[in-house]
Order: sequence, then structure tokens, then C-alpha cells
Amino acid sequence: MWYPAAATPVPLAVSSLRRNVVPSKQSILIVDDEFGLAEMLREMLRDLGFEVTLAINGRLALEILDEGKVDLVLTDMMMPVMDGAELARAMRSDHKHRGTPIIMMTSLPTAVPQPTGLFDAVLRKPFTPDLLLKTMLSCLPSGNAGTPQRTPS
Amino acid sequence: MSEQQPSSERRPTGISGLDRILEGGFLVSGVYIVQGPPGAGKTILANQTCFYHAATGGQAVYVTLLAESHSRMFAHLRRMAFFNESAIPDRVYYLGGYSALEAGGLEALVTLIRGAIQKHRATLLVVDGLISAQESSPTEREFKKFLHEIQTVAELTGCTVLLLTNAERASGFFPEHTMVDGVLHLTDELSELRPLRHIRVLKLRGSAPIRGLHSLRITDQGLEVWPRFETRLPQDVVDEAKVASGPKLPFGVRELDEMLRGGVRPASITMLLGSSGSGKTLLGMQFLSEGVRREERVLYFGFYERPESILAKCQRVGIGGLKEGVKRGLAQIIWHRPVEGVIDELGESLIVTLRRDRPQRVFLDGMEGFERAADFPERMSHVYSAIAQEVEQLGLTAIYSTETRELFAQTIEVPIHGLSAATQNIILLRHVEHRAVMRRVLAILKVRDDDYDAAMREIRITNSGIRLLDTFAGESGVVSGGGNSRAARREQPEA
Repeated sequence: MWYPAAATPVPLAVSSLRRNVVPSKQSILIVDDEFGLAEMLREMLRDLGFEVTLAINGRLALEILDEGKVDLVLTDMMMPVMDGAELARAMRSDHKHRGTPIIMMTSLPTAVPQPTGLFDAVLRKPFTPDLLLKTMLSCLPSGNAGTPQRTPS
Repeated sequence: MSEQQPSSERRPTGISGLDRILEGGFLVSGVYIVQGPPGAGKTILANQTCFYHAATGGQAVYVTLLAESHSRMFAHLRRMAFFNESAIPDRVYYLGGYSALEAGGLEALVTLIRGAIQKHRATLLVVDGLISAQESSPTEREFKKFLHEIQTVAELTGCTVLLLTNAERASGFFPEHTMVDGVLHLTDELSELRPLRHIRVLKLRGSAPIRGLHSLRITDQGLEVWPRFETRLPQDVVDEAKVASGPKLPFGVRELDEMLRGGVRPASITMLLGSSGSGKTLLGMQFLSEGVRREERVLYFGFYERPESILAKCQRVGIGGLKEGVKRGLAQIIWHRPVEGVIDELGESLIVTLRRDRPQRVFLDGMEGFERAADFPERMSHVYSAIAQEVEQLGLTAIYSTETRELFAQTIEVPIHGLSAATQNIILLRHVEHRAVMRRVLAILKVRDDDYDAAMREIRITNSGIRLLDTFAGESGVVSGGGNSRAARREQPEA
């Protein structure tokens, strides 16, 4: 779910961030069952130069993970079939995905387990595009050639 | 639902008025439609039921179909007292169903719902935004099949299902209504700028619901429902004859008590009828004050003047003891602002107090206050009858004041129907012009099955209490506002 914070209108934030993105693409998997929100997030991240795939539950996310390279997973908590915590546990117990960073997005921070090894970060909804990018960059392995780099504006 | 009788076990909503209407709650395995325009309270009703269900040991799953995002819904629900974040996700689980619906149609949605019920061992399921499912079904038949599958899942798992929709069909015919166990309709309308919310049971299988429109209000506590007040059945019936044979209850105004041959009978209802400013409230307060003096429990229930100002006024005119009575727990003063109330809430407040405290003397000041709170004026006679019945059944002695519109007219209109039928005694208070002086006059118009003095007396409110004077002795036409002495009449020419 996506609420642009009043202080950071989306168009401005996106246009200011777009300049900072390098061409080499990293792959992000968004796992969210809420229609519209995941799509909007996908467009946003594509604009920033990421490659983005969507899954509407944890099980579909695991299938996508098995198919190819995913650099970071952005997941909702409550979903049908397999929820965010189950997905994270499955990834952590699979050597292929153990090292893939997972960011959990939630609108109920008190109701959701805090990252104790399961998640690399928790993003409280609503969040700003800036905070999202900052959190993603902090979770992506540093020094990676494909990492979007901030350039002086 | 299937033809076989489902378990009669019910799942309460935790909304006490609604549970009363539903005769205890929703049926186990029952499928219900909750419909109404946006903002009528469907989402609150469903969420409140989920959290109550979770708090009482159940498991709830809430599936949204493009109604609003969960974040937005939580932001709104967070203000409500029932919203308990710690119940999420273990006992109340939120899912988005629209993506599945988009990808795989109704079949995928049913799979999602079935999976969610099984995975979370759900005993309550909400589908918010049924209209989306309806719109995405290619034919009416497909949609009915979807409902049928939901029923089957509910039947197999014992899960209760609430389907929320704002569907307004042009045809006015809802085939889905024939397939479910109950339909609740929520409305939100304006009446003379006053918002009026109602809930109505259109259909309820396995119950005899309280039919008709019931008042509904949304507060920080969540949804509050007041079943139509007049449908409440009296309880705790006392032997009226036994009570009525007890000693009479005096007003503590010597002249009036003499006129009434000692006072009003116990378990009787007396109307104080009069124009504005004629002294009805003070006479009623005098009745209560006398009760306190006799160590009786008394209740004032009114709408217009604030309790402090009434008590101060009583103090000024020598009607004492009430403030102390309040302190000592003998006297109780309940005041409601009539404009903002819901009539069923006012009625409920009165009845609950009467049943709980059993005051020996009750003064209902300004019955018009109930009318101002009424959503539909045609209900009033039923409401008044219900109050009268309650007072009678509890064996309480009640006095109520009501206003005549006319100040000086020849005719006097008794405004309250339904209550006046149950009224044993009527005392009239009004202003009259008498020899170029405005005076307040009191007359007893009726005392059922008892002797009384029918003379008219001037009522004087002094600073040492209420006094009745024989100002009009030997005159007629005072009550109707004329007031001629016999000598004056003799001088009038024949018509």
C-alpha cells in the first residue's frame, strides 16, 4: 500500500531519484496480495531502474525465486496461502535464497514480529519513496556493480 | 443454506443491540449479506464483530475485494475502542482477494477463501466488497455458483460468513438474497439536517428478528445499535393491585394533597398538563422533594433545563432536600439533550434506570423531549405506551409534564397519545387573566376511581414553597381562560 507523505509528493520524489539510478539492473520481487498497491510499487521501482516481478502470495514468490535471480524481496505480511513470515522462513532454510535480503512492509508494526534474522528491515506503511529506496539500498549487498549509486545532484 | 437445520449455536457480534435483534448473533455456518451505501457502517460492523469474535476465542479472516486498502482501513479503525492490534495476525487475519479475482476469476477467489478458512481455522469470515465478485462474474449463474460454493465451505467448516456489499440493483431484486441466511441493511440519511442511521433486518433464517428500522450510531466505541424501543418487553411484573392498595403519595403541598384526598395512588401515572412557565417542573420537583423527605428513592428524567439550574431554582423557592438527596443516593437526576439523542437510546436509558433502581417516585419532565429525538413521529404513541407499560409493570408512581401549545385558548389539547390512555390522573396548570392580573391556576381534571376536589386554585410559587389559594372561589370559566364572577355574568346581555 502506498501513501505519498504530504511532505514528499510522489512526482517530485521520483523525478529527483530517477537521476540517481545507474543502468545496470537489479531484480526486485514484490510480494503483496493487495491489488493496485503492488502494481504502483512496481511502476515506481521500474522508473528507478529496477527490474520488478510481482507475486500475490508467498508460495508464488518461492516459485519465482526458484526460477531465477532475485536480488531483494519486498513482502507484505498477511497474505493468502503463504504469508510473509512463512516465506522468509522458507527462504532462510533454503541455501539458494538464504542470502537474499527481505524487507517486510506492514501497516501494523506492533502486530508483526520485528526482524530477528527473518527480515533485513521492516518498512512501516505508509512510507515515502525516499525511505523505500534508502531501506532497499541499505539491504542490498554493497559494492555490487548493479547497485543504484547516488550521484551528486 | 442446505435444507437441513443448521446448528442453532450462535456467534454474537458483541454489539449488544444487534445481538438482541439477531436473537443472540449470527448462526454457526450461516452466510449473511450486510448491505448499505458507503459510509453506512458495514466495515465497522464487520471488523467489530471480528475483534469481538477473536476476544471470545474465535478466529477471524477478513478478505477485501478492492474496497479500500488495509492501511487506510486500519488508519480509520485505529480510532475505535474495539480495534486491538495485538489480535492481528494471530486471531484476526487480513487478506486482499482482488488480485486472485483478477487473475483467476471467482474460482480463484473461492480457492483463496477456502484455503484461508482452513489455514487459519477461521470461525468467522468477512468478504468486504462482494460487488467486485458480482461484477467479475460473466453471468448471474456464475455468481450464484460462487455463493453456493461459499455456503458449502461454511457448512463444512462451521465458519460464519459475512458478505459486505453496497450493491444497489436497478431491478430491486437481489437473487443472492434468496440464497443466504440473513440480510442486514444499513442506511444513512438526513432528516431535517439531522443524520439518521438505521439498521434493518430484511431476512433472517432460523430466527424471529425484531423487524423494522432500528437506530444505529457510530462512535469511538464502534457501532451502537438500539432495537426499536417499543419492542422491548416488560419484565419483572409486580402485582399492581397489591402496590396500588398501599398508602397514597402526597406532594407535600397541603392544599393540593387535600384536593387529592391524600395524594396520588401508588403505581399510578399522573399528567401535569400546562403551558410554558405554568409551574409544571416545580410542582414535579416538589413531588420528588416530598419523596426524599420521606426517605424514598426518587428519579428526575428530563430534557430541557440542566440539573444544576433546576436544583438552584428549587432551592430558591423553598423546594428543598433534593441536592442532599442526590448526595445521599436517594435522588437521581438524569438529563439528556433531546436534539442529539436517539429516541431508542433515551428510552433505553430510562428503562434501564427504572429497572435497576426502582425509584418509588419518578418525574419525567417534558415528554416532548422524546418526540424531538424521534426519527419518525408516528412511532411516538408506541413509545409512550411502552414507557407507561414499564412504569405500570414495575409498580412505580410516575408524574410527567407535558406542554399545551395554547396559552389562553378556550380549548385544551392533550398532546400525548398512547401515554394519556395509561394516565390515571390529570392536573392542569395554566396562566389565566383574572381581573387584569395574570395568575397561574391549578385544577385537577381527572383522578381515576377516586374522589377529588375539582375546584380551581391559584398556584403561587413563593420562596417558602408552593401554595394554593382560593382566589377564584365562586367564579367559573377560569380554566378555559375567561374567569367571570357571577355578578359580572349577570350583567351580560342574553346572546
